[in-house]
Amino acid sequence: MIVQAKGLTKRFGEELAQIVAVDDVSLTIETGELVIVMGDSGCGKTTLVSLLGCILTPDNGQLTLDGQVIDYAGQDLSQVRRQKIGFVFQLFNLIPYLSALENVIIAMQIAGFSRFEAEKRAKDLLTQVGLARRLDHRPAQLSGGEKQRVSFARALSNNPKIIFADEPTANLDSRQSDNLMNLVRQLRQEQQTTIVIVTHYQALQKDADRVIYMQDGKILTD
Amino acid sequence: MTHIFLKDMAYRRTRVVMTTIGIVVLITLILLLGGIMNGMRIQVQQYIRSTEANLWISAEGSGGAFTGFSLLVPEYLVFINHTKGVKRNSVSPLIFAHARPVINGKATKSIIVGYKQGKLGGPTQTIPNQGRMFTPSQYDDYRPEDQPPAEVVIDEKMRTPSGGKIPIGGKIYIGGKELNVVGRTKSLMFVLDTPLLFMDLRTAQEVLLKNSLHVNMMIAKTEPDYSAEALVEELDRNGMIEARTLDQTLTSIIENYVDEPMKAVQFLRVMLWLAAGIIVTMITYVTTLEKTREIGTLKAIGASDYYIVMLILKQVILMSSAGVTSGVFLAFLAANLAPIFVKIDLLETSVVAIISFVVCCSGGYLASRKVLDVDPMIAFRGEF
Repeated sequence: MIVQAKGLTKRFGEELAQIVAVDDVSLTIETGELVIVMGDSGCGKTTLVSLLGCILTPDNGQLTLDGQVIDYAGQDLSQVRRQKIGFVFQLFNLIPYLSALENVIIAMQIAGFSRFEAEKRAKDLLTQVGLARRLDHRPAQLSGGEKQRVSFARALSNNPKIIFADEPTANLDSRQSDNLMNLVRQLRQEQQTTIVIVTHYQALQKDADRVIYMQDGKILTD
Repeated sequence: MTHIFLKDMAYRRTRVVMTTIGIVVLITLILLLGGIMNGMRIQVQQYIRSTEANLWISAEGSGGAFTGFSLLVPEYLVFINHTKGVKRNSVSPLIFAHARPVINGKATKSIIVGYKQGKLGGPTQTIPNQGRMFTPSQYDDYRPEDQPPAEVVIDEKMRTPSGGKIPIGGKIYIGGKELNVVGRTKSLMFVLDTPLLFMDLRTAQEVLLKNSLHVNMMIAKTEPDYSAEALVEELDRNGMIEARTLDQTLTSIIENYVDEPMKAVQFLRVMLWLAAGIIVTMITYVTTLEKTREIGTLKAIGASDYYIVMLILKQVILMSSAGVTSGVFLAFLAANLAPIFVKIDLLETSVVAIISFVVCCSGGYLASRKVLDVDPMIAFRGEF
């Protein structure tokens, strides 16, 4: 088991304007699983992924990640993120002044890889996602699909235990989305990485081990 | 990989260059203003020191030589000369006055120094091959028939209003009187490059005081074993004159000609420092705000606050270093090209550079702390 969440709750705002974005959610995710989180806009998918990815601190509940209970008060969460987690964002969030290769290297340098090791692994990963000939291109010179591939390579770069992808196909056309999902399948087979994807992209469901539907901050079906 | 902060700076080069130029200009101005004040301090002392006099006597109530209006009657010369401890016959009556001599029909600035040749207060010779000294009056005391020819020796740096050299044999006019330039001397400039114009005391009295026998001050030397301070006290007891030592004279002239008038400039220098700090703070703050998504992404992928603050601080340090270094370089260049004497002091430059660097970096550091407020959740949001 890579993730165990018990009673995770996250509220935003205060008093009358308070919204319970994630409401007493408990779930477990096994190592190597591909989990799809679906639901209407505003149902709490991104908040749940942010809680599981140690970006947000829950108001209530407990999270165990890779066997380690997260101590929100006393633990450096950025260290947990760089050691155990990879993120893929809806808007790719590549650093605009770095090349595809450098965007991957920077994540590895943050994770503590040596420069030589980082460069070698970044090249391997970008080759793996089909961007061997785009290493020196900046994000502005890449298509949406290519940017998302760089984003996946970056997420994989620190050998994460789990990858969280938030709407990775939202800004891609259907062909690029299909290509990206082929990449996810391939990565899953080759790397055995646990992947949690928040998406509206129905075609992904057939590859998923589990599909979680959320509504009003709660898990409706799992 | 080249350092990420350098890549970021290259990406935002226009802002980096503009910020650095801002720092350069401010540091240059801070140093130049200090250099102008230093220059004034040096020049205001040069003439006084060059006389080698250590007793400066002016009229009672004048506040000291060069400070207030002072006219002394010549009778004091004998009194001072006979005061025990004053070097015998060293007392020199002196006229020292700002004037606007007319050269080629245009007025220019200068300071008239009227003195008795061979006494303290003026040069003893001209620059070789640059004319001769003025013809002096013959007697120490006033005699109507002892009026020397109207001749002046000018400082070699004295120029016509159009910037040309004044030839030997050229004419200058003061108070309507024609004076012949007979020689050039390597003397010293007064504050703000005001050249000194030397003439016989009698000529100065004719030109400036309509033949009145008064002088502005008298200067003298003490005997080797006598203390100037003690002599000053003794001379002051007379009640009709004010005596000052060399150090007292220098202190009061610096205060009067430099420190008091330049208070506004000192204030401006502090404001410029503040402006340099504010520029860096604001630019860093705006840049940090602009990079919120980048910062959020870096945090999301595991970068610590320290890592991100250092990314920004490295840029601030580099910009501040480049700005301060270039500012110092430019200030020295501008000082050499300045139309007035500017003396940038190396120690002061180091202090200014260090303070400016600290001010800029502190501003940048305060602004970079905005990073701590950036929520990594921002990386997940679509609206920007």
